[in-house]
Parts: sequence; structure tokens; C-alpha cells
Amino acid sequence: MSYAENIEQAISNCRQQTVLMQRCLSQGKLMDALKHTSIMLTELRSPTLSPKQYYELYILIYDSLSILSSYFVECHPKKHHLADLYELVQYAGNILPRLYLMITVGSSYLQSSDAPREEILKDMIEMCKGVQNPIRGLFLRYYLSQRTKPFFETEDPEAKRANISLIVANFIEMNKLWVRLQHQGPLREREQRTRERKELKILVGTNLVRLSQIVESDFAMYRDEILPLVLEQVVQCRDIVSQEYLLDVICQVFPDEFHLGTLSELLSTTLKLSPAAPVNEVVLTLVERLNGYIDRQEHPGPDELAKKLESLDISSESQNVFFVFWKFLNQLNEERPDLSLQEFAPIIKGILKLTLRWYPDNLSNVDVLLKFMYEKCKESGQTVPEDYDYLFQELLLANDLRHDPRFFYQVLTKCESYQKLFRVQNKGLQKFCVNEILDAITHADLRISSETELQKILGVCEVMIEVGAEKASSSLILDEDDGTDAEKWSLNADQEKLAKIAHLCYNKSIEKHTELLIACREWFQKGDKNAKYLYPAVICNIWKLIRKCQLMIKRKPQRREKMSTTIKQLFKLASRTINELYNTCEGGCLDLLYKLNLQTASLADQLELGDIAYDFFSQAFTIFEESLSDSRTQFQAIVNMAQTLQKTRSLYAESSYDTLITRCTLHGSKLLKKQDQCRAVYTCSHLWWATEISLLGEEEGVTDNFFREGKRVLECLQRSLRVADSIMDNVQSCQLMVEILNRCCYYFVHGDENSTHVGTKYINGLIELIKTNLKSLKMEANQGEDSGERFFIGTDGSYIHQSPVNSVSAVYNKPPTSKGNNLASVPIEFFQRTLQYIEDQKDVDERFKAISVGSTS
Amino acid sequence: MSLFFKSPIDIEVLLDGEESRKHVEVANASNNSTAKTLKDRFPVYEDGESVSGIVTLRVKEGRKLEHLGVKVSLIGSVDISKSSSDYKKRPVDTFLSLSADLCPQGELMHSQSFPFSFKDVEKRYDSYRGKNVDVSYYVKVTVLRKSTDVVKFKRFWCLLYNSEPPAPALSKSSDDAKPVKLDIGIENCLHIEFEYSKSQYSLKDVIVGRIYFLLTRLKVKHMELSLVTRETCGLEPNQLSDTTSIRYEIMDGSPVKGETIPIRLFLGGYDLTPNSNFNHFSIRNYLSLVIIDEDGRRYFKQSEIVLYRKRN
Repeated sequence: MSYAENIEQAISNCRQQTVLMQRCLSQGKLMDALKHTSIMLTELRSPTLSPKQYYELYILIYDSLSILSSYFVECHPKKHHLADLYELVQYAGNILPRLYLMITVGSSYLQSSDAPREEILKDMIEMCKGVQNPIRGLFLRYYLSQRTKPFFETEDPEAKRANISLIVANFIEMNKLWVRLQHQGPLREREQRTRERKELKILVGTNLVRLSQIVESDFAMYRDEILPLVLEQVVQCRDIVSQEYLLDVICQVFPDEFHLGTLSELLSTTLKLSPAAPVNEVVLTLVERLNGYIDRQEHPGPDELAKKLESLDISSESQNVFFVFWKFLNQLNEERPDLSLQEFAPIIKGILKLTLRWYPDNLSNVDVLLKFMYEKCKESGQTVPEDYDYLFQELLLANDLRHDPRFFYQVLTKCESYQKLFRVQNKGLQKFCVNEILDAITHADLRISSETELQKILGVCEVMIEVGAEKASSSLILDEDDGTDAEKWSLNADQEKLAKIAHLCYNKSIEKHTELLIACREWFQKGDKNAKYLYPAVICNIWKLIRKCQLMIKRKPQRREKMSTTIKQLFKLASRTINELYNTCEGGCLDLLYKLNLQTASLADQLELGDIAYDFFSQAFTIFEESLSDSRTQFQAIVNMAQTLQKTRSLYAESSYDTLITRCTLHGSKLLKKQDQCRAVYTCSHLWWATEISLLGEEEGVTDNFFREGKRVLECLQRSLRVADSIMDNVQSCQLMVEILNRCCYYFVHGDENSTHVGTKYINGLIELIKTNLKSLKMEANQGEDSGERFFIGTDGSYIHQSPVNSVSAVYNKPPTSKGNNLASVPIEFFQRTLQYIEDQKDVDERFKAISVGSTS
Repeated sequence: MSLFFKSPIDIEVLLDGEESRKHVEVANASNNSTAKTLKDRFPVYEDGESVSGIVTLRVKEGRKLEHLGVKVSLIGSVDISKSSSDYKKRPVDTFLSLSADLCPQGELMHSQSFPFSFKDVEKRYDSYRGKNVDVSYYVKVTVLRKSTDVVKFKRFWCLLYNSEPPAPALSKSSDDAKPVKLDIGIENCLHIEFEYSKSQYSLKDVIVGRIYFLLTRLKVKHMELSLVTRETCGLEPNQLSDTTSIRYEIMDGSPVKGETIPIRLFLGGYDLTPNSNFNHFSIRNYLSLVIIDEDGRRYFKQSEIVLYRKRN
């Protein structure tokens, strides 16, 4: 008998024979039916089918044989005796059809109560040995397994035992066939074989499923009679695909409690696997399973778990799940020195996951694991290739660790080994991890309150702090813009995160807190150039502390003395920190230093510590004088200084205020660009005209000791007017003049004419002057067409472009080139608006009536 | 034509209790291909059994027949080379010949019946119908005449039963139940050991055994067991032999080292011939293990077994 050439033909043959068989059965012609069945079964002998096609065919034939089987059962023993049939079918000349028929008859026979169960089952399994072809053999045995499935359900332990041994025997044979499939055919088709094998794996796995159904909850039986045999087979087959799959199936199909009881056996089996088999996957599967066990518990508390473990029939030693794994790990390390770091890493990660789930608060477990990894790293000597970074990243940033930020924090600060392991990683990875760690910490709303903890955290971040050296070259280029371009600061997100650590430091005691900040500073110092990103955070926190002291004084006046010394100490600390920053980055961040000094000075002033404030102001001036060279920065610095100084109140003693403001104005008048000079000077005019700060309880009209010198104010305005007048560019000149006019209006509004010396006469004169200057400009402006695009000039000299289309305005440092003509209208319009303001003011303020606006047209 | 040469007398041989006797069906001996599927039915006798019956002579109505006497004989013979075209030359070796007179010389006027009986006939051989050789038993009734004798043959079948397996010469061992073990191989290629439970089987027996693969470098496609029945006749130079065999696949695919393949072959369902041996004629049975590799080469090992008929 031969088989069809392709699957389609084979299937149609099968269908046809099935029909014929059914017809014969209905006519009671058993022999003919068997003949047709046998022809049909011949199709299964075909060696050309792929496993998938074979499976398709098998399903079809399975159904047909079911029909036959039910006929057998129905007519036994009326028309035939199944024992006779069992012999009869053995005459089939070909082994495969013979065995299929035999199993069909045998399993039908098993359904009658008088059948010699044991003998039939044994015989069927024994005879199956005749098929040594892997695919055919696998399916045949699968058929056996499917057919005999219903007969394995029994309560009697003896029978159960026998059944188990039968299934195990079948399983072992199937696995052997399955493994053999790999070694068939030419070498170049090896991969295809592996693929095919994976398609067939379920056939083998079914046996284990069946075993799990039979054994039910009989742990002793599982431990003593199933597992050892199965594991032995797993070890002996020395096949990777098989070992991986089978261990996985074992982990999946048997109950959790069984695994808990046989954990050490399972683990020690993995030691004996073939060298290429992935030990880690097995371990991970187990871990998943055991972690899943906790999830499946109704009361997953640790006490309940412990109780549950005790109730299981396992030795007390293996009740500590972590300990079992730990022992395994050590054994693995001893017995498999060939395993690389990359293979250990996932295992460790798996065990880590386990311990975190089972013993969520046990830090020492974590420590011990990381230590193990660290030692492995050290053993391996050379650095880990970057390709494997991800492994360590998974380990160091394991989700389970980060799951609870507080625990993660504990790990970071309490686990020695975490630090050690961290340090041996590649720089790139370390940086990446630091980033993640910092994110985790900062988002977790944690407070770092002990210095040792802080030291640990910073120790971990070391790599990030120290990268300054390599980045120096790039940051040098940035240096030039640093002062002016504030945006560049936010570019370095890493440093920003690092700086956040300073903000995380907190301790109730101010001294302790100070220590924390000092520690931060010390670490940040290692950052070299990067200090400019980090120090401000420290200084900022010192300010905060100072404020806190101030509050405490307010609340507990009796501690004033002690507190004031603390405050002084803190200011000293701030000063030293700023100096240190100055020393480390010299030219890098002068603008920053300047501002920090100013801010500190302002703070000191608010605490009425004039001396200290003066000191910081003078520091600021020193920086200004010695180092600020960019004209733009200088101008900004003057404006900044003026702002700060104007608000100071504690410097009046010893005329230090006078010294400072004079110096400030002087610097302003010496700026390089005339428009800067002009603006600086009229800004400085405010230094002689203190205004109320309601927070301090001052009130215009009530407080009478404001520092005000109208004469100097006027001087300043006149000076700036002179400068404005001398500017060649008449657009600029006019613009500045209008700005001065605005200033004048301010003083006119806020001060008495007698005290400010800015009177109607002066203003009228200024208006006239501007009008004259504008005449020539107007001619230019008329020539230009109104395109709807508008320009403004800001009070810091920048150009603002407002397009009618876009609601967002653009700011430029240089005048726009293409629309040059339009610029002429800028001061004109500005002037119009100012005049309009004066007109409007006439309604509320009588004094304005004296100002003649004249015809604006 | 047959009308003229038609025998003037009908002879009918009716064996005692023939209808109720066990019968065997044997494939028709004629070489005519159309008749091949036809079967002859013969009543079965055993060794030592009496053969008796009635011979009825029927004369055509209204005619009479003169004869020189009627004789009945019981003959057992071996016919060798029956297929040889020259029927006459066919050597016949008669090993049994008993005869008795039924009726003296006279004239038959009407039909007449004569009982006959051969008591406790010893039958030494099994009946056999093979390709080259027949072993046949028959009752021969001869009506002697002046002209050609009228002869009638009545064949019957003889089956010998052994309660014990015979101790034939080929099995030197006296212990029949001892399993047959063979260890064969091709150097560095295949090495198997096989084992049958015994070397002598009755016809309804089961051959049970196993094959153990010690070494396989061969890509085996499948393995078969064949049971070969070989009839040999004649003397050395002109010896004729012919074989018939049953093929039974026992393994599919290529086993690995250490694999054991079970053998189980039920003999009962096959039409087998027990061993027998006399003078120039012998029937022997061999069990042959054939391994066919993927390139279609066949490797085989043959070992002789003894089959015997046993009363069940």
C-alpha cells in the first residue's frame, strides 16, 4: 500500500476511505471496514509531510478512528469480541496502520469492564516502540495518549501509581523521539528542524499535563514518583529545546505547592542541563510562578505565607524560598564556571524579583545578591562589554526595586554592594542609571536627612558629577554666551537633576541641614566646571536656611542670639560657596556669580545685616569691575544692581548706601554704548528716590524717612538726556528721549515738583526738543508704507516685532534689516502714546494741565 | 468428442461422514490463471485414522459392463516437479500404498455399492501442495477392464499433529524452550542483537522477541520480519527449490543506540506449512530479519525455525 504524494490528495483519500468505512460498518462488514481504515492509515506513513500537514491529517484520521472505535464498543461482544479483534488487527503488514488499529481496538476494549487493563495498556505502549521515526512516532504515541486518557482516572493509589509509570514511560519515549527529530536530515536544515520541533512540542507536553491531572494534589507521589523520572529524562536528553520547554511545562502545569516543595530539586536539575541551555529562563519561569503564587493567595500577608509553607510537607530549610535560591546560585557558581556574567545577570535579577516579592522588606537579601554579582564582575576582570549594559541596567534599575521609591532609596543608601556593583559599570551606563535614579528619588517626595545617606546617594551619582572633565571642552565654547543666553542653562538636564539633590536635603536641625549642604557642596566641587549648574542649588538652600532661622527668631525671640550667630555662619558659608564657585569656574559663570552675590546681599539687607549686605554688594562690584566685559551683560548687571540697591534699607549707616549707588551710577555712565549709558543712568536715577515697600510697613505719605534726593535725580535725567541727544542715529536718539520723558512723567506723578526738581517747565522743554528731533524722522516715516507689521523698541534696547498674523511677538537684539524704514515710526508712535498719556492724566491730576502737549499732528 | 470417450461407468467414492468432517481449502492446483482463485475442498484425516467409505459404481441405464475386477487402494505419494510440462516424466514417489479388492471379475448390470475400509492407516507426511511438489493422499478405485481401466481418484487431506514439537536433526539442542539469540552486525556500521523466545513454534503460536540495537550508523528506513517457507526437492544437481514468504513490518524509522524493538508475530492467521523432510523433499521455515536503509539497500539475517502442527 502506498501513500499520496501531497497533502491534498492524502486528505481526500482519507475522506473517501472514511465514507467507505462507515458504509461497511453500517452493513456490518467489519473486515472490509478494517481494510478501508488500514488504507486510510497508510496515508500517515508518508514521509513527505511537514509537521503541520501531518497534524492536519492526524486530526482527520483521529475523527475517523473515533467512529470506528464507537462501533467496536457498541458491538462488543454481540458481534465480535474485542480481544479477538485485538489479535486480528495485528496481522496488518505495515507497522503504522497496525499500531493505530491496535490502539483503537485496545482503547475500545478498555471500556468494557472485563478487559485486562494493565496488560493492554502495557502492551500498547511496548509495541509503540516499533515506530522509531520521530514524527510518526510522536503522533502515534500522542494518539495513544489521547485514546487512553479517560482510563487513567482512578482513585486507587496503586492503580494511580501504575498509570503514572505508564504515562511517564510514554513521555520518555516521546521526548526521545522529539529530540531525535533534531538530528535528522541534512545539517543545513537544522534551523528548520528546530522550528518544526517547536511546532510539535505540545505533543510531548501533553503527557506532563496528563500527569498533573492524575496526580491531583498528591504531593508525595509527585515528589517521589513523577518528578525524579521526568527530571532525569530532561537531564539525559541533553537537548536545549527540550530542556527549556520541558522545564517550562513542569513549572506551568503542576501546582505551586509542589514547586515550593521541590524547589531545590528543580533548581539542582538546572545545574545539570546541557551547557548551552538557558538556565536563566528556567529560573525566571520559576520565579514568575512563585511570585504568581503570592498573587493567587487570598491573604498574601507574610504571616499567612509562612503558615502556608509550614502546612506543606517540606523541610524547614526549604521553607525559606530565598535561601533555596541562594544556595542554588552558589552551587551554580561553583559548578558552572563557564557561565558568563551575562548569563548570571538575568538569574540574579530573577532571584531579586523573587526576594522582593516574598520578603519585601529584606534588604540583606538584596545586598547579598548584589554582592554576588559584584564579585562576579570583579572575577571577570575586564570591563563588561557595552553590549551587555542592558543586563546590568535591568539589574540596577529593576522595576521591582524601583516599584517602591522608599525601598529603592533604602537600597541605594543601605546596600554596600549596590554601590560597589554600580561603580564597576561602564560610564555610559552609570550615567544613564544615575539619571533614572535621580528621577525616581526626586519624584518620590523623599527627604534626605542623614549625612551618610546623602554620601551614598552622591557616591552613586559620582559619575555624573565627575563627567565635567570630559565635557569641559564643550562647555568652554558655551561659556562665552553663558552670561547672556539664559536658555543654555536649562540644556543640561543631567546637571539639573543632580542639583535637585541639594533640594532634597532636609533635616529639622539647622546644623545638620547645614552639614548636608556642605556635603553636597563637597561632592559638587568634583564636578569642576559643572559646579556652575550645581552650586546655585546649594546656595539657594543656604538662603532658605537663613530664612528659616529668621522665622525661628520671630517665633522664639529668646533664641535670637544663638540664631543670629547661626545666620552669620550661614552667610559666611554662602560667601565661601560663591567664592569657591568663582575659583572653580572662573570665567564660566561670572554673571551668575554676580547675581548670586546680589541676591545674597539683598537677603542680608532684609535681615538688617548691613555689614554683610555691603560685603556682598562690594563682591558684586568687584566681579563687575574685574570680569564682566560684555557690554550687554554689563548693562543688565547695572539694571540688576540698581533694582537690588533701590530696595535696600539697612545700608544707610556709615553712608555705605551712598558709596554703592554712586558707584553704580558711575559704572552706568561709563558703559560703552551710548544707549546703554543713557538707559543705565536714567535707571540709576531711581536710586535717589526710594519708594515704599509695603511688606516692611512703609507707606507713601506716611513714612517720612525715605531716602530721596530730587536734585540727584534730575542730574541723572539730564545726564542721560545729554547722552541721548549726542547719539547719531536719530531713531535711537528720539526713542531714548521719549523714554526719558516717560521717566520724567513718573517723577512728576510721584513727587512734589519742589523735591524732585522735575517740573512742568522741564517736561515742556523736553517735549519741544523731541518734537523738533522728530520732524526729520517723520519725513522718512511717511515714505514707508504701512504693511501692518509693527516694531517696538524695548527699554533694554531690544527690538520687538509684532506681525499682524502672528499673535506671538519676536524679540531681536539687532535692528531688523529688511524693514528698515518702518523703524522711523517707532519713536514717533511711542511719542504719540506718551503724549496721549499726559493728556489722559490731565483729567485726574491738575498739575498736568500745565504741560503743553501742543498739536501732535 | 467427450461423448465418445465418455467413460461407460460412473464411479463415486463417498467417504464415511464426509459432510460432517473437517475440511481444508487449498488453492487450486491447476495452472490455469482464471482458476487460481478457486479453491479445492478436501476432507481432513489424521495420522492413524481409518479411512473408510463406500464406492458406488453406476452403469449407464440399459448397458452392462464387463470388468476384470474392482480394486480400491489408498495411496500416498510425493509428486515432484508437477509444473514440468512433461506430465509423464513426472517422478512420483509413492510412500504409501494399500489396496483391497472390492469385487471379483464379472459383469456389472446395474449400479452397485461396495463399502471399503482401511484400518488405522499410518500417514507419515502432511499433505502439501506447493509449487514444485505435491504430497497427496487419495483413494483410488480401479475398474479393471480388457481395454483401458476406469480409474477414479478421491483426494483427501492429511494433517499431522504433534503434541510435542519434534526433535528434528537441525536443532541440536535438546532444550526446545531455549530462546534463540543472535548477534550480528556490520563492522562500525550496525550491530544488533536479536532474540526470539524459542526456535520451534506451533502453527497457532506467536513469535515473540526483541531486537536490541547496539550500534546504528545506518539510516534505517524500516525493518521487516519475513517468514520464509522453502520447499526443496530433487538431488543436488537437479535440485529444485521454491520459497514463499510473509512480510511483516516491525519497525518504522531509524532507531538510536540502545533502542529495543519488540517483535510479535501471530502465526495463526497465516497459511503456513509445518516443517517436513523426507528423501528428496523437504520443507523448511526460516525467520528472516530484513533491514532496509534509506538508499534501499537490504541487510538481512536468516535463522531457521521449526514449525509444527499442534492440536489445539
